[in-house]
Amino acid sequence: MAQAIRNAKVPPNSVNLEEARQRVFGFFRIACRSLPTVMEVYNLYDVATISQLRSTIASEIRRNDHITNPKVIDMLLFKGLEELKNVVNHSKQRHHIVGQYVIGRRGLEQQELASKEQGISNFLKDFYNSNYS
Amino acid sequence: MGLGLLASKAIRPTTRLINFQNPNNLFLRTIVSKPELRNPEPAAAQPEQPLVDLSPRTPVGGARVHFPNPDDAIEVFVDGFPVKIPKGFSVLQACEVAGVDIPRFCYHSRLSIAGNCRMCLVEVEKSPKPVASCAMPALPGMKIKTDTPVAKKAREGVMEFLLMNHPLDCPICDQGGECDLQDQSMAFGSDRGRFTEMKRSVVDKNLGPLVKTVMTRCIQCTRCVRFASEVAGVQDLGMLGRGSGEEIGTYVEKLMTSELSGNVIDICPVGALTSKPFAFKARNWELKNTETIDVTDAVGSNIRIDSRGPEVMRIVPRLNEDINEEWISDKTRFCYDGLKRQRLNDPMIRGPDGRFKPVNWREALSVVAEVAHQVKPEEIVGISGKLSDAESMIVLKDFLNRLGSNNVWGEGIGVNTNADLRSGYIMNTSIAGLEKADAFLLVGTQPRVEAAMVNARIRKTVTVNQAKVGYIGPATDFNYDNQHLGTGPQTLIDIAEGRHPFSKIISNAKHPVIIVGGGIFERKDQDAIFAAVETIAKQGNVVRSDWNGLNVLLLHAAQAAALDLGLVPQSENSLESAKFVYLMGADDTNLDKIPKDAFVVYQGHHGDKSVYRANVILPAAAFSEKEGIYENTEGCTQQTWPAVPTVGDSRDDWKIIRALSEVAEVRLPYDTIGGVRARLRTVAPNLVQIDEREPAALPSSLRPTFTQKMDPTPFGVAVENFYMTDAITRASKIMAQCSAMLLKK
Repeated sequence: MAQAIRNAKVPPNSVNLEEARQRVFGFFRIACRSLPTVMEVYNLYDVATISQLRSTIASEIRRNDHITNPKVIDMLLFKGLEELKNVVNHSKQRHHIVGQYVIGRRGLEQQELASKEQGISNFLKDFYNSNYS
Repeated sequence: MGLGLLASKAIRPTTRLINFQNPNNLFLRTIVSKPELRNPEPAAAQPEQPLVDLSPRTPVGGARVHFPNPDDAIEVFVDGFPVKIPKGFSVLQACEVAGVDIPRFCYHSRLSIAGNCRMCLVEVEKSPKPVASCAMPALPGMKIKTDTPVAKKAREGVMEFLLMNHPLDCPICDQGGECDLQDQSMAFGSDRGRFTEMKRSVVDKNLGPLVKTVMTRCIQCTRCVRFASEVAGVQDLGMLGRGSGEEIGTYVEKLMTSELSGNVIDICPVGALTSKPFAFKARNWELKNTETIDVTDAVGSNIRIDSRGPEVMRIVPRLNEDINEEWISDKTRFCYDGLKRQRLNDPMIRGPDGRFKPVNWREALSVVAEVAHQVKPEEIVGISGKLSDAESMIVLKDFLNRLGSNNVWGEGIGVNTNADLRSGYIMNTSIAGLEKADAFLLVGTQPRVEAAMVNARIRKTVTVNQAKVGYIGPATDFNYDNQHLGTGPQTLIDIAEGRHPFSKIISNAKHPVIIVGGGIFERKDQDAIFAAVETIAKQGNVVRSDWNGLNVLLLHAAQAAALDLGLVPQSENSLESAKFVYLMGADDTNLDKIPKDAFVVYQGHHGDKSVYRANVILPAAAFSEKEGIYENTEGCTQQTWPAVPTVGDSRDDWKIIRALSEVAEVRLPYDTIGGVRARLRTVAPNLVQIDEREPAALPSSLRPTFTQKMDPTPFGVAVENFYMTDAITRASKIMAQCSAMLLKK
């Protein structure tokens, strides 16, 4: 065990932004290739399509498109890979996938709505939210 | 002969033998709980003065003593503590004034004294036996002892007798936890009994869909019998048989047909009479109590809503001497299952196919706001319903006024109803004040179905003061003596012109009362009728500086506040020409009057009549879920408190209109309920003085006299079915059962 830990190595950091960029593309490809398995494992056929999930992954990646620090990108990649591994290994359950990646897109839409709500009062925001505020 | 008796016969000689042989062995079969109660001596006439705490004590329940005549005060000693009480008080009342609570089963302060349970026995000095304190009048200088061995042993003995034939089914009894017998046997009873035979059993009686009976549990206190004949005024219940065969029953196979029958559940000290809908539903210690008020009629009875989680489990009365004493009507008590049925929980829009589609609030409000802007302001109409609170009514009025329309009114209020003089639409005498009256003239009102609690007051007055009651209107049921004078306005004119014998009764009465029904507001000739009533009032001297006997009995909880806020229709046919109709809980509006092309918004909590016509549904909170101000028929402002959370995606009424106003770009200036109440204060200050009755400032005789021709059509019936008057009660299954079984056809 200790041997294994000693031998395990975190890949070296990306040297520049270009390398980090290529790694992101690589990650996206791996994720896309695993999608058929994911659909199968979690039986997502009646709630999503592969292309929907692909665009969810793409939009999750694009959410961080303002980051230019290669170290930060590497860290996010690491987390993404970890998440992907959990998904593919069936470490999650179906409602996790549905909640995070199928409905989650609607959550993004709601964020867009929030930007629409700039003009309305706090009262109305609370009202739309719930009866109790 | 039961097995138990045989067994005891077999054992008894042995027991005596053992006792005889071992007179010192006290513990073999002692009956009383403490050794000193075995041979109690009456307290000595002149005992060595024990240490008595003479500091002032608080009477039981914080009661205050009213001395009608200060000279009649007498002094008695309760456990050595001197108290001053008026003449005529019973020993039990004297003890209560002294802060000593006497156990009792049959005694109830609002009923006549039976004195048959014997639980209230106390020792009185120089009296050879313990006396039943509820039936014994206190005499000057009486020395009452409530805590002596004699009194304790007497109670223990009574408890033993009562428990002899009382089943041991507390675990399956609905009274468990709030049972007088349970509590008092814990406090005063012995820890063992001598009874070894079979307990008696009694056949259960069928009292209808509301009251469940387990007559074996009955301890024959006769509270229910006295309640039925004295307060409810029905002779349905009685005592049958004697001795151990004594039982409560309805003489013949018959249901209890009183609108107050639910109160026997509260006064029953044991679990003999319990609530049928509540049976086996919950235990009282797991319920959350919320003190609120009732909205099913215009009385505003004080109630307590008992809820468990999001569900209302039952409704019980709360003491308010000025309004409902400690009774409530069956409609109030059992309407609660309507709060769980037919509820609207999502905003909905009717699609082109005529079906409702659930949408979110954002969509629903934007659709309504868009339509509201497409119509002309004078084509907008708003109607508030029977159950609306004052806050939502003022917000609705403000909203429609901002849209440029003044067509906003409350249900049950006819065109040009007088809303300027408050004395012209409230009960000026006040509900408690009715007790002084000695003559009643009921004009077009059936108080028994319109306001059962007011009717109970009138009945009390009729039985106590022998007040005369004259009634004008269609034939109806009364539970007290009355004279049916006529059916229509013609009789009213006869009385006004002094041709009718009843005008003598009114003018001879010291405190005459005229009660006009709220149904009159919907008549076209209401002004002429009120003018005639005022003529009668003037001739009979009904309105004086010290007595205002001219009353209006309103029909719904929202009516008084709606009139205070001026929600009165301005013209006859504003509804017929409407293009945009906003129904705020209005379910009893004539939907045929709304034009076919009108856009109807229904805001409310039940899918009732108006939903069938609505284009958009906005779900709102019911009275049990919101904070709302209601004014009752006597002008007393009261408030509901939320007992349970709102259902689904519904919102408070005033919030919906406030949000809609913002979407419609006529934003109203308040964001909180405090803000709405500040607005209420500027319109009707009496509506924010919670729990206070604001009498009308000016007598209604200031009104100009009308010479309009009176319509000779007889007065109608305002409430067709006592059990189903509004959206909540119409949704209730229990109320439907009641109307099927109890209404006289």
